Parts: sequence; structure tokens; C-alpha cells
Amino acid sequence: MITLSNVTKRYYTLVAVDDINLTIPRGEVLGVLGPNGAGKTTLFRLIAGFLNPDRGEITPQNGVWPTLGYKPEQLLFPARMRVRPYLEMVANLANIPRAQVRERVSESLARVRLEGAAQKNIGDCSKGMRQRLALAQALLGRPSLLLLDEPTNGLDPEGQDDICRVIEELRADGQTVVLSSHQLHEVTRVCTELVILKQGRVHFRSSMEAALTLRPHVVIRSDSDLSDVSAILTSLHPQITVYDNQVSLEDEAIQLRRHVLSVLVGAGHDVVGVEQKRATLEEIYAEAVQWHNVSSR
Amino acid sequence: MAQRIFTLTIYLFRSLLYSLPGLLYILATLVLWRVLFDPTQGTPELSYYTLVIGLFGAGVTFLVTLSVAGRAYRAANYPLLARLPSRVEHLTAVLGASLLFAVLLQLLLALLALFRGPSLATVQALEIPPLWLAVDILAAVLALHASDLVTTGWSRVFLYSLLALFLFGRSLEGGPTSWAAQRAMAAAGWFLGHNLLGFSDLFMGIGRWLSSAGNSVVDQLFGLPFWPFEAMTDAIRSGAFTSAQALAPAILLLYAAVLFILAADLFASKDLFLTE
Repeated sequence: MITLSNVTKRYYTLVAVDDINLTIPRGEVLGVLGPNGAGKTTLFRLIAGFLNPDRGEITPQNGVWPTLGYKPEQLLFPARMRVRPYLEMVANLANIPRAQVRERVSESLARVRLEGAAQKNIGDCSKGMRQRLALAQALLGRPSLLLLDEPTNGLDPEGQDDICRVIEELRADGQTVVLSSHQLHEVTRVCTELVILKQGRVHFRSSMEAALTLRPHVVIRSDSDLSDVSAILTSLHPQITVYDNQVSLEDEAIQLRRHVLSVLVGAGHDVVGVEQKRATLEEIYAEAVQWHNVSSR
Repeated sequence: MAQRIFTLTIYLFRSLLYSLPGLLYILATLVLWRVLFDPTQGTPELSYYTLVIGLFGAGVTFLVTLSVAGRAYRAANYPLLARLPSRVEHLTAVLGASLLFAVLLQLLLALLALFRGPSLATVQALEIPPLWLAVDILAAVLALHASDLVTTGWSRVFLYSLLALFLFGRSLEGGPTSWAAQRAMAAAGWFLGHNLLGFSDLFMGIGRWLSSAGNSVVDQLFGLPFWPFEAMTDAIRSGAFTSAQALAPAILLLYAAVLFILAADLFASKDLFLTE
């Protein structure tokens, strides 16, 4: 849908986004992760066109800019406006025909479960309500690209679940979404593509499916401490690690699991469990932001 | 596009109307009416009525535009801006909302001033609004350039310095060429007094050349930007427009159009760091 080619953005001497190459694929939900100051909001503002790249370019893939729905990180709204009139104003900006404005606003309010607050002054809304309102305005008019900057920030678990449900529905409808979040379980749940930023650079890029099948490993647990066989096991392969009563075999070392089991049984240890595991998003994220090597597709 | 601009215009207009500055503008208009068109005093002349309310319109439009532009530059507007295919729509709405608010204030003062004010024939009443509107539009566009919304880098400094330069040149007695000739002659005298004959001759030559140039193109150039204002003021005082003077409002609109295109270009290409 949109391609970023060698995009760099500086704020005086600070490089906020550094030589990013990224394609936002149509119909996917792209999760942008990264620690504070990684350049996520700057990236969103570049895509939204609020900022101009100092270097590189952002181009639509078919030559036509997508229509945008943008939910900024800060929940700021016009003062002294009620929820429904605000959404009606956004609906007018989204080119929704006047005859359909009320209906579409009601739909949007229902989608984020905010019908009860339609006549409420925005200034009187709770943070959770404002977060829902911010999402509701972004959804209006079914824009071809949704940019959601931390859509669940400050929400209670129920609210987070609601927002995730909405994004899952959007994903099922083939909506293109770019979202940032610090809630890794949410990203795992709703995103189909993943980008991890650190210091303005892309440190990890993968589909979510591929990311979650990275680094397969087998954990063998014994009922007793394995320090007596630790040296033997670790000498078998560099990707075998022993910790307390566990042996972890990664990647190619997995093929040696039978041999490891026989060593353990031969040494008189009872094996109480063998588990096949994959890297979690938390592990991938931790390694990426610490600038460890994580293989991607 | 028209729907989006109209929606934003009404939003910005309401945002100012229901704010403290909006209330203050209305109160200030009432106070100025009491001061400038005191109903207990004699009936003002038509030229006074037209010029004073025109001047009020320009001033209030400038201030109102600054207020509206400040509101349009708030971070709450990010989601609204994201919806626009062109940022110029936002700028147009700022201009529209500012003019709407300011013109309503001007109309309020104009109507209040009619109480025990000059009697206006229909033709005269129809002549006045285009004059006021042309000045208001120019004031609004100039205010846009002074606002954070439009300014990029040193753009407002350059624009207002240029304006100040023209004003300074125009205010000089005998015009800028004559002023420069006098300064060159004075410098020549100073160098002569310090026995720096080479420099003295040089500045003397420059002074003579500038004096001989007389009412040069430079002098005319400095006066040209202000000609529409002078023409309109003269016509209002005399009570009738010559064919040349009748062009003055159109020239002001031309200035405004050029400055608005410049403002649109600056706004469309700047990085937006809306205030939170």
C-alpha cells in the first residue's frame, strides 16, 4: 500500500528515524514495536504526512494516496465538544454523505461500545472513553489505511480486549492497519506483520507467523540437579545449555535429543518432561531491542 | 472539498466564539463603539464612519486570524488533518473562520455606529463593504504569515522585515533616494573632516548621483505597495472614486492572493508539530 524507501527524519541533531525501508502491505495489520524514543510516533507522522522526510521518500504503491484514519498517541480533542457532534464533524471530513452521517456515527460508536456516551462532553469522558472515541473517529468512513498509535494505552483489561476485538474484526475485513503498542500480547493477538524499531532503525521485520516459529527449542526437565552431566551435555553441541534441572536444545541441537535423553537416563536421572517450544514475542522483542541477532525470514 | 472546508470553518469559528478570547473580542467591539462612536455626541461624518470601521476591521481581522490560527495549530487537530487530501483546505478554513468572525464584529460595530450615525444612501451602503472586505482579507492573510501555523523557519521575519523596509522607505522625508543622498553627503563631510579625501570623494560622488536621480524608480517602488491604501483613503475623503482609485480594492485582493499562495506553499510543505 505504502513504501518507505531510505526514510530518515532528524530533529536537529537527533535522528528519530534512520534510513528505514518498509512496505506496508495491503490488508495486513502491521505492529510497530519499540522502546520509548525508538521513532514509532515519528514513523506514524511521516506516514500520515505531518512530517516530511529529510532523506528518502514515502510513496503509495499504486500511485494513489490511501485515505487515512489516524489515532494519535495523545488523547487530545477539541475543547467543549460533545462526542456525537465531534464524530459527525469527522464524518463530514471523511466525505460521508450527509444523509448517512448519523447512521455511520452510530455504527462507529457501537463498534467501540461508546453509545452511552454519545451526548457526553468530551472533557468529561474518562481516559478509557477518550481512547475509544479516538478509535471511533479513526474508523469513520472506512479509510483505506488506519494508523493507530498505542490504541490500548491506559485502558483496563476489558477495554483492551474490546479494542483488540475491533482490530481483529478489521483484520477479518481486510483493512490495512498500522499500530504501535507496548502490550506484546495484544500485538501477538491482532497483528499479522511485525516491525521492531530501536533508535530509529528497523531491528526486526517479519510476519507474525514466521516470528512465532523462530528459534524452535526443546526443553528436557529432570527431577534432579543436572550439574554432574552438564559438562558432557554441553560438549555435545554448543546450542545445548544446562540450567539446574533443565536441558535446553536449540535449532540443530534438537536432533540430539535422543542422545541427550540416553545420557540423562544413563546417569540415573529421571526425565519428568520434554517440551517443544518456540520463541515468544517477548523474547524476540527483548533480543531485538538489545541488538542481539534474531533471524528473520 | 467544499464540504470539508465548510465543516472546518464552522468548527474553528465555534471554537473561537465559545472561548474567552471570543468573548473579549465582542466586548472590545462594544467598548470601541462607545469610544469611537459615542451616541451622546454629534453625528459622525460618512468618511469618518467608513475609515474608522475599516481600520477597526483590519485590526480585528489580524488579531482574530492569529487566534484562529493558534487554535488550528493544536494537536487535537491531527486526526482532522489526516482526513484532508490537501493541507491547503485547513488553511482555507482558518482564513474563512477568521474572516467570518471578524466581519461579523465589524458588522456589529457598523450597525451600532449607525445609531445616531451618518445616514447612508443605498448606493453608499453598497460601496463600503467591498472596501472593508478587501482590507480585511489582506489583514487576515498577513496575520497568517505571522502565525506559527504558516511560518517556516525565518519566513515571517523576512516578510515583515520587507514590509518594515517599505514602511521605513515611505516614511522618509523626500523619499528613500533623497534620504540616501543626504546620508552619503554627510558621510563625505565626515571623511573630509578626518582627511580621508578618497572616501570623501567617493561618497560625494554617490550623494550627487543619488540627488540627480531625483524622484527615481526606487522612490516609486517604495510607494507602490501603499498606493491602494492611499487611493482608497483619498476617495473616501473626497466622497467619490476616480476610475484608477476604484481599482484599489482589487489590487489589495491581488496582494492577498499572492500572499495566500505563498502561505499555502509554506504550510503545505512544513513539518507539523502541533502544540499540545
